[in-house]
Amino acid sequence: MTIAHHPADELLLSYAAGATDEATSLIVATHLTFCPQCRRTVAKAEAAGGALLESSESVPLSGNALQAVMSRLDEPAPAPIRAPLTPSNVPAPLRAYIGDDLERVRWTQIAGGISFKPLFQRGESRVQLIRSKPGSGVGLHTHRGEEFTLCLTGGYTDITGNYARGDWQSTTPDILHRPLADAGEDCIVLAVSDAPLLFRNWGIALIAKWFGF
Amino acid sequence: MNDTKPALPAEMTALLATVGTKRDRAAFEILFVHFAPRVRSYLLRLGASAALADDLAQEAMLTIWRKAEMFDPAKASASTWIFTIARNLHIDAIRRERRPEFDPNDPALVPDEEVPPDTQMVRDSEDARVRSALTKLSAEQAQVVQMSFFAEKPHSQIAKELGLPLGTVKSRLRLAMARIKSALDGDA
Repeated sequence: MTIAHHPADELLLSYAAGATDEATSLIVATHLTFCPQCRRTVAKAEAAGGALLESSESVPLSGNALQAVMSRLDEPAPAPIRAPLTPSNVPAPLRAYIGDDLERVRWTQIAGGISFKPLFQRGESRVQLIRSKPGSGVGLHTHRGEEFTLCLTGGYTDITGNYARGDWQSTTPDILHRPLADAGEDCIVLAVSDAPLLFRNWGIALIAKWFGF
Repeated sequence: MNDTKPALPAEMTALLATVGTKRDRAAFEILFVHFAPRVRSYLLRLGASAALADDLAQEAMLTIWRKAEMFDPAKASASTWIFTIARNLHIDAIRRERRPEFDPNDPALVPDEEVPPDTQMVRDSEDARVRSALTKLSAEQAQVVQMSFFAEKPHSQIAKELGLPLGTVKSRLRLAMARIKSALDGDA
């Protein structure tokens, strides 16, 4: 599998710095599961973090912190939280949000061939899964803010290109597109946006508004 | 170890690996003396109170002791690995948010392509190269890098605070990342 579309380097730097919010971190981490190339970029940005830490001013801890920590080294470590991972079609970062089977997600159908599943909304960021049957799509739309989309299964095509499993798309208010799911299996994407989409079709706009899409 | 000269990052990386393989307390003590004050300073810059920065720096050092077995000196230097631990602890304990990460044991993980094994010597020079790349950033690039690492500000927030178009913030960060990448790829 070769990934053709990647998140921008400046976004990977922010993720490495700890500067992205939970929604953005989730979609970046899910892409990293599919993409060795971006994992290397994140590792390089983290090396910059290490260098910044190394050159940080040294501010000694108050009291006898060294002794306090040395005396706790024999304390039993808290048990690891994560159970071993079983084979699944859900990348590990997403499992905390949707479980380990895409088929068992409770989808809400909003139009012919299109279902969605809201995951969470925090601050301005909303996170959802969108599922399209082959040949269907959410219709012509643009974006009030930034939207990131990551293809999890199947594929889709719009004026900017073709997106398959692991591919990333960043869209901004200047992109008006009509993504359509490719033939074959259903296309499921993870989408993170900082504002609701703007649909050209008022019927879809109304449904989308109703569902908080 | 010679106490009179400043510790080299390579020595710290070797010490951390020793803690991982041998549970060596003396090695851990040296790591503590070197890193705990730096982790504290990082947390203070992120806005933690003095007391909280003390507590979390201790917590970070305990985490380092407990997770040292997972440290792979072929993949990262000690300072890089410790940075990621301090960063995650801050997000977890102070921002009270999750920071999803890929899991190296995930059956869905697409594995790394074959790359020639890194030698320790390469790793050591990488450390020096990334530090030198950071000192060569323009003032504008260094500012947005600092705001990312030491204030954990997303692009939109940096743009707002500096009164710059979002695209300008992104391109400054992108250029900085290009510098870091090329320093590490050895063609700087």
